[in-house]
Amino acid sequence: MKIENTKAQMRKGVLEFCILSVLKDEDAYVAEILDTLKNAKLLVVEGTIYPLLTRLKNAGLLNYRWEESTSGPPRKYYGLTETGKLFLKELNTTWSELHNAVTIVTTQKTPKNE
Amino acid sequence: MNKTVNINLAGIFFHIDEDAYLKLQRYLEAIKRSFTDSQGRSEIIADIEARIAELFNERVQNDKQVIGIKQVDEVIAIMGQPEDYIVDDEIFEDEPSTTYTKKTTKSKKLFRDADNSYVGGVSSGLAHYFGIDTIWIRLAWIILIFGLGTGILLYILLWILVPEAKTTAEKITMTGEPVNITNIEKKIKDGFENVTDTVGNAAKNVTESVGAVAKNVGNSVSNAAKNADFKKQTSNIKSSSQTFFDALSNVIMFMVKLIAKFVGILLIFIGAVALIALIIGLLSVGAVDIIHIPGLDLVDIANTGNTPIWLVSLLSFFAIGIPFFFLFYLGLKILITNLKSIGNVAKFTLLGLWLLSVIALVVVGIRQASEHAFEESYVEKAELPITATDTLMVKMTGSDSFHTSYYRNNGFKIRHNEDGEKIIYSTDIDIRVKSTTDDVAKIVIEKRADGSDFEIALNRAKKINYNYTFNNNTLFLNDYLTTDTRNKFSDQKVDIYLYLPEGMAVYFNNSTQQFLSYYKNNNSLVSRESTNHYLQINADDVTCLDCPKEDFEVDIDTPELKIDNNSLEINTDENNVKIDENGVKAKSESVRVNISSNGIEIESEN
Repeated sequence: MKIENTKAQMRKGVLEFCILSVLKDEDAYVAEILDTLKNAKLLVVEGTIYPLLTRLKNAGLLNYRWEESTSGPPRKYYGLTETGKLFLKELNTTWSELHNAVTIVTTQKTPKNE
Repeated sequence: MNKTVNINLAGIFFHIDEDAYLKLQRYLEAIKRSFTDSQGRSEIIADIEARIAELFNERVQNDKQVIGIKQVDEVIAIMGQPEDYIVDDEIFEDEPSTTYTKKTTKSKKLFRDADNSYVGGVSSGLAHYFGIDTIWIRLAWIILIFGLGTGILLYILLWILVPEAKTTAEKITMTGEPVNITNIEKKIKDGFENVTDTVGNAAKNVTESVGAVAKNVGNSVSNAAKNADFKKQTSNIKSSSQTFFDALSNVIMFMVKLIAKFVGILLIFIGAVALIALIIGLLSVGAVDIIHIPGLDLVDIANTGNTPIWLVSLLSFFAIGIPFFFLFYLGLKILITNLKSIGNVAKFTLLGLWLLSVIALVVVGIRQASEHAFEESYVEKAELPITATDTLMVKMTGSDSFHTSYYRNNGFKIRHNEDGEKIIYSTDIDIRVKSTTDDVAKIVIEKRADGSDFEIALNRAKKINYNYTFNNNTLFLNDYLTTDTRNKFSDQKVDIYLYLPEGMAVYFNNSTQQFLSYYKNNNSLVSRESTNHYLQINADDVTCLDCPKEDFEVDIDTPELKIDNNSLEINTDENNVKIDENGVKAKSESVRVNISSNGIEIESEN
């Protein structure tokens, strides 16, 4: 069992949740989403995000519109759909539950020794 | 100095060094391969290309600047290696599928499992694929290895063609749902349910939309705000009909895939069976030299062209085997989507090898045929010490020194002579009888053989051994000819011409029957039907001396004379005689005689 694989899987598990969260308040194009994720050190390489975006879009959680760019090709601006918003809300709940659970488990003192 | 290429990446124009271009192209190809169509491959690739264009754009200050290998490396470092693109679909698979317009049905793939391997991990990979224990696959291999080693070949083929599961994603794909009947059935069911659901939903959506539209139309005059709604609803109709057709195309695709898999299995089966049969054939021919399978030396002896047998069999193996290998490969490719390509080099090598083999076989064939291009004969003559007044007896004799006839071929057999050496043995002997005006009988033995030129043919003809003996006015002809196996079988035959003086009597024994011609012809006065009789030789035919006289039928029917099988009747002006089953009646002017069952009556006028 390689530590890298486990790490990658952990990250990939929350990646969809994070992408949706980035788009929570305003639409963004790929480079912006990437910047946020990379700043947070959630993403090492950019490649991972493209299949995820396509999957989320195909699942009806995201939609996009094209916008012309002055400095390159036209950009795809992604935004949340209504389903996406509901989805995100639910994920938020799950995440805080999970966060709590993980915090409890990892910070708990071994009760038997007390 | 470097050559540059112009490329269009997501609609943006770039100058790029040729080597950098090739690297980028390979990179994009590799990424393309890590996705399937159902994942939206073309869309993902378009997005990636757009991002690369953006990154390049940041790295060039003006239009004249060229993108080099350094920039490409930077971009690849940012984007990540092809493995990083792979998403473990199974992680997300258990999402509630109702919100999905498209369900990603991913079956498991065949990989080699290097973690649990003895040799190449093929067995454990197959075990994962079929969802059974590895031990059974291994046992199957062992059995197949005893089956003349075909297992080894199949194993090596799979080892080469099936990729190893390296990344986690691949390992998960490898151990996914096993491919068995239950799962296939489930998948088909799912496919149908999916469609009925979608169709139902679509229908519901359409009715709802139409209802809403109707309502909207009614309200639209008074309420402008509803107009926006109207637009929304029309697009809703569109999207639901789209969903329907999407689902329909999904089902059609699914069916097509199912049929394709079936065809794939069929192709693999045909290819594998043919290959195994060919290998067994090749191995057994190859083993001839070592273990001497009886009968196969027949092939060697008929092989007048002297092309080595192993070469011919190897050529045939390639000429027949390579097309079947491609069939097998095609089947495997249909069945296993992540199959590694055998590579263009291998493909073209095989194609070249096949062409060469076919050409070589044609050449060998022509050589073999040319071996029979010339026929030459060698003639031996002898006088038979017999005069026209004697009766000549002709008999065939076999030989008891040749034993153990291995095989019977139309043309020849192989036998062992007294010294235990193998010889070619043939019964291709013809006897022809001709008349001569000489006083003495003559025998002419014509030995004939084929060859690629006159000399070879003549030599082969000379080397035919054929004997006869003559004593006591009886001619004993051998019913066989022999020749050394080195001479090869090339239509060796013996024609015997018997020149017999006119007026001489001859008797052909029953044993000669098979060696005579069927009917009397210009070549021979004596045919099969005239055996077992004493024959007298005439200038151009024979007279049978002891044949029963032939019956003849008489049927004369005139007013004066009537003769048939039952009666005789003679009528003249004054007299008539009648003999039939009733007796004898004779009548003349002066006397009448009647002999019948009643007695004898004689009446006379006097």
